[in-house]
Amino acid sequence: MGKVLEKEGLHNFILSLQKHGLLIAPVTTDMTRFKVLEAGDKVELNNNPFFPLKKYFLPNEEPVLKIKNGLTKEPKLKEPKKIIFGARLCDINGLAILDKLYLDQRFVDETYKKRRENTTVIGLNCLNPPSENCFCGSMGLQKEGYDLLFHERELDYYIDVLTKKGAKLVKHLRSEEFDFPLPKTDKKLDPKDLWPFMADKFWEKDNDLCVSCQRCTILCPTCFCFDLHDDVNPATKSGDRLRTIDSCHSPDFTQVAGGHVFRAKRLQRYRHRVMHKLQFFKDKFDRSMCTGCGRCIDYCHSKIDFVKTINEDFK
Amino acid sequence: MNIYNSKQYKILDVIKQTGDNTLLRIKCDLNPMPGQFVNVSIPGIGEAPISSASYNDKLLDLNVRIVGNVTKAMTQLKKGDEIGLRGPYGNGFPMKELKGKDLVLVGGGCGVAPLRGIIEYVDLHWKDYKDVYMFFGYRTPGDILFKDEISGWNDKYKVFLSVDQEVGANPFNCPVGFVTDNLKENKVPSNAVALMCGPPIMMTKTTEILKEKGLTEKQLYVSLERHMKCCTGKCGHCMVHGQYVCLDGPVFTYDEVKNLDE
Ligand SMILES: Cc1cc2nc3c(=O)[nH]c(=O)nc-3n(C[C@H](O)[C@H](O)[C@H](O)COP(=O)(O)OP(=O)(O)OC[C@H]3O[C@@H](n4cnc5c(N)ncnc54)[C@H](O)[C@@H]3O)c2cc1C
Ligand code: FES
Repeated sequence: MGKVLEKEGLHNFILSLQKHGLLIAPVTTDMTRFKVLEAGDKVELNNNPFFPLKKYFLPNEEPVLKIKNGLTKEPKLKEPKKIIFGARLCDINGLAILDKLYLDQRFVDETYKKRRENTTVIGLNCLNPPSENCFCGSMGLQKEGYDLLFHERELDYYIDVLTKKGAKLVKHLRSEEFDFPLPKTDKKLDPKDLWPFMADKFWEKDNDLCVSCQRCTILCPTCFCFDLHDDVNPATKSGDRLRTIDSCHSPDFTQVAGGHVFRAKRLQRYRHRVMHKLQFFKDKFDRSMCTGCGRCIDYCHSKIDFVKTINEDFK
Repeated sequence: MNIYNSKQYKILDVIKQTGDNTLLRIKCDLNPMPGQFVNVSIPGIGEAPISSASYNDKLLDLNVRIVGNVTKAMTQLKKGDEIGLRGPYGNGFPMKELKGKDLVLVGGGCGVAPLRGIIEYVDLHWKDYKDVYMFFGYRTPGDILFKDEISGWNDKYKVFLSVDQEVGANPFNCPVGFVTDNLKENKVPSNAVALMCGPPIMMTKTTEILKEKGLTEKQLYVSLERHMKCCTGKCGHCMVHGQYVCLDGPVFTYDEVKNLDE
């Protein structure tokens, strides 16, 4: 079941969200970014933000523990209520994918869980792909991970309602039943089992271009590998145990005592990242870890297009 | 409960085993299965995953080899100090599935420590297993771990020690050679299961020899070491071919990990 909002009502609807918490939406300055909406900001409805949604759930650096008098203590969880408007389905499905790891029943990350609970995610469906490198149309995106999702029609917005938290915000609107279409993209990744293509020769062409700059992992909506390390003041012996975003592109990512590095060659690291996104995760969770947002191609230092390589050369 | 936080446990004893290996005996009821590990926290320095070297519901033995800052700080702790641990993590050796079998333990250097957990497990469940063969190799006689226990093991199990070089006294009369040489020269039943922990080259060589002796790849279990941070399947450091060594491992059958061309 969904709701309907007339187009003229959008602006006021967005502003009205501010009474429910910190309102975050895409805004364009030099480029489009998610930001806390302030008076005068114009919500950008056309571009996908440069940095994906994950930063509101897994910031690049934060203390997971406090260190005091030689002991670790759990930091107090102060998670303000947030409302994020205008996230695209690729980023939102990215959260559903991160949920599989961070809400894994065996080891639930409580901070992540609290942030998921305290954040209302309002999606905006893509009618036209925001980038020529979008290929989400081939990645099996699902209607999940959001509280509400806006789908623009000729005269109005159809609002898909997935949760109670979302329903509360739109209960005053007219109801309608409508099966909104998932985004379509011209660019598509051919579905392939990648295991037969592990040999170096399939990866060499792209690897020769890769400079291990890590932009692809930083900008990926589902990459959040991290390092844990202590940062203490030597005089007071107090400080933090920090979680910092890390990247499988760095050689020391797999270095162990004695100096041995398991993925010492760049090609091994390049292949590991693509295989994790497209094959390893799927083997375990029955869905791809890549949502086809295209950022890793858009912002690649060397414009490596692994979709093209896999489609054309992996045979 | 914050999954990154550890609980404090009291250190009952700090026993220097060799030049660079120290055993920490800790009052602890975590009772990891053999092959499981804990993550040890030294606030201000960091954490390190260390295998359980025991099987005991009141004590936990950790054998620590000094290789860097965290391991060094661990060995500087004293009897009566407290130490932070989280875990236990990992799958451990499948002891229950292996009931009724002959066990062949192959360990190199500090790789012997997790195998001692198996020995303590079998000590308590001896009726469930047939013979235990131990092939343990060390650099020199001075590097031999758990020296006080060897005569006790000899009474119950088939113990084969070896040293790479004979430097100083050789109280156990260990032959000189690699652990794999010792394995080659001695008989083990072809329906046994082998449980290994040591440097990658040792595991590769051991596998070749055991295959020659008629064991299949499914009868061989290896414990892998990887860089680990979270130990809970999140940070990605330990992943090989999609398997989290911290969650799905560290113990795998050789069959599962033989083609790990990363
Ligand atoms: C499942 C498992 C069981 C282990 N069991 C034992 C054991 O019983 N006894 C023992 O002495 N050692 C064991 N280790 C190895 C031990 O964890 C590392 O030697 C230790 O983390 C090194 O930390 P450090 O601070 O002393 O060295 P550092 O000064 O941090 O660095 C030395 C090197 O170790 C690497 N390193 C950092 N963190 C880790 C890590 N978490 N795992 C592996 N390498 C790392 C660094 O990249 C660096 O190359 C085990 C490792 C694993 C994964
Ligand atoms: S140690 Fe973090 S995923 Fe295994």
